[in-house]
Amino acid sequence: MSELTTLQKWLTSIIVRPGMLDDKIRLADEYYQLKNDKVIRPSLRLSAKQKIEIYSKGYILRLLECIEAEYPALNKLLGQNLFHTFVKAYLVQLPPNSPDLYNLGEAFPAFLKASQPQTTHSDTDVLMYNLPVDLAMFERCIAEVSRIEGLENRIKEGADNQMPYLFNTTAIYTSPCLKLLRLQFPLVDFVQSVYNDLEPEIPVTQDSFVCVCRKNYRINFHELEAWQWHFLNRLQNKPNYMAAVIDTATICSIPTDTIMADLILWIPVAISFGYVYLK
Amino acid sequence: MDTIATNRLGLPNLGLGVGLRSKHYSHLMQNDPVVDWFEIISENYMNNFGYGRHVLSHIASIRPVVMHGVSMSVGSTDPLNLDYLKQLKQLADFVNPVWISDHLCWTGVANINTHDLLPLPLTVESLHHVANRVNQIQDILQRPLILENPSTYLEFESSTLHEWEFLSELVNRTGCGLLLDVNNVFVSGFNHGFDPEFYIRNIPHKSVVQIHVAGPTDCDTYLLDTHDQPVPTQVWKLYQLAQELTGGVSTLLEWDANIPEYPELVAEVQKAKEVLKGRLPNVPVYRTSAVDVVSNPVNHQMQATHE
Ligand SMILES: [Fe+2]
Repeated sequence: MSELTTLQKWLTSIIVRPGMLDDKIRLADEYYQLKNDKVIRPSLRLSAKQKIEIYSKGYILRLLECIEAEYPALNKLLGQNLFHTFVKAYLVQLPPNSPDLYNLGEAFPAFLKASQPQTTHSDTDVLMYNLPVDLAMFERCIAEVSRIEGLENRIKEGADNQMPYLFNTTAIYTSPCLKLLRLQFPLVDFVQSVYNDLEPEIPVTQDSFVCVCRKNYRINFHELEAWQWHFLNRLQNKPNYMAAVIDTATICSIPTDTIMADLILWIPVAISFGYVYLK
Repeated sequence: MDTIATNRLGLPNLGLGVGLRSKHYSHLMQNDPVVDWFEIISENYMNNFGYGRHVLSHIASIRPVVMHGVSMSVGSTDPLNLDYLKQLKQLADFVNPVWISDHLCWTGVANINTHDLLPLPLTVESLHHVANRVNQIQDILQRPLILENPSTYLEFESSTLHEWEFLSELVNRTGCGLLLDVNNVFVSGFNHGFDPEFYIRNIPHKSVVQIHVAGPTDCDTYLLDTHDQPVPTQVWKLYQLAQELTGGVSTLLEWDANIPEYPELVAEVQKAKEVLKGRLPNVPVYRTSAVDVVSNPVNHQMQATHE
């Protein structure tokens, strides 16, 4: 290993490792056979360790800020102390490896899910542990929808006002930035309250069908009826309107005719929010 | 010492610019940008097809744009991240930037990215390593890379070169350009006890393409590059010297946290005009005793537009 490689591995290991600074430095010194005060030049004002601390402290604070920006509602739900505890544990388990900070929080919902206690006591407990996981999934979804390719360059001028779907349902496609989530808590109002700086109400468990989408660079998220959600879900998997209607009817035990009649009323709404569009 | 020489690798003096930040998106979509040019943090727009890219596309149609990156990790001993460079090039095809810059630093090793601008030991080994990589990067990007001096908080005992010597030799070996951050010179000068004026007098002025100004924070025993305050008098003084020695290069105000409203930001960068007339604003370095001061050179922008 070149001297430069060794120094870089030594410093990186101190910066990303958890624990007390003195312990981290001692472990790195031992492992790489270096002595911190021979590696880093001390000054009159600061020792080698204090200089390293500027970087190790900055690392955590900076990444905490980034994840806080992505998960404001989860931060509100857990309270800052608990939220920070989870984020720090997450960063220890999965130190960032992408040049893009947008990827930093990607695995956070899965991390929260995996860190739920293995032995659970009651159904209520299970649900309470699921609430932060659901919320994290929802917020990550919003972050993704804000960045991925959307409809902005696809919708034809005035397409919103057309109603050809009545005659040509084969032209109806789901938006490339439509994301569908099935949650155990209705979280739309909770997240909206946090965004609006209002005190959110903790939701009680209830099957929730959510869609997140972007149109004209505005993010929409709504609670859907089960049949609407299943219809979009089928159409997203396979762009075939009639097949989606039939599947939805089966899944929801609703007559096909009823679904079709309801869709005639609902499709214009779905177009206006950008869930679907006419190709 | 160089006398006035306005080579800048043949690149233009764009005048006074500011960083494009999400806080000002809606303002900029409705108002004249006033400033001459913009700098973007490249990583905030790579793989971003949301509102940010829409605003960028508008800005790029009315003003020159420069791409400034934080994740190239020129000094890392990991292999060059070719995926990253490919994405950077794709963004450049979209933006058509006047130039592309990053920092003389490394961001991590063994596939870890600390998202910090970490200092290199300034040795002949590092110089050789960085020069090789800069040459490769320039071949890939098909343009000169412009490298910025970072703020640093530690020095390696093994360093045998001063940063100005390292940069001068790097320019000789690669033909790269320099982004002289006079605030970083001020910060590092204080932290390591060198004379910032001496540093600025001893870099190759012809290769300086751009200058950064910013406001740091005095944390008592060290200065931290926080980009969250007005530019202090000392930094303006170094700016004045740098403009004198370079013959005039593009100037950019960095403000990444505690960001003011757009008109205030513009007023801050326009102080540069007064400085060049010899009128230095009287602004002390911001001091704090808070323990959780953070330097966020990466300016992460999770700008969901859900309002
Ligand atoms: Fe800078």
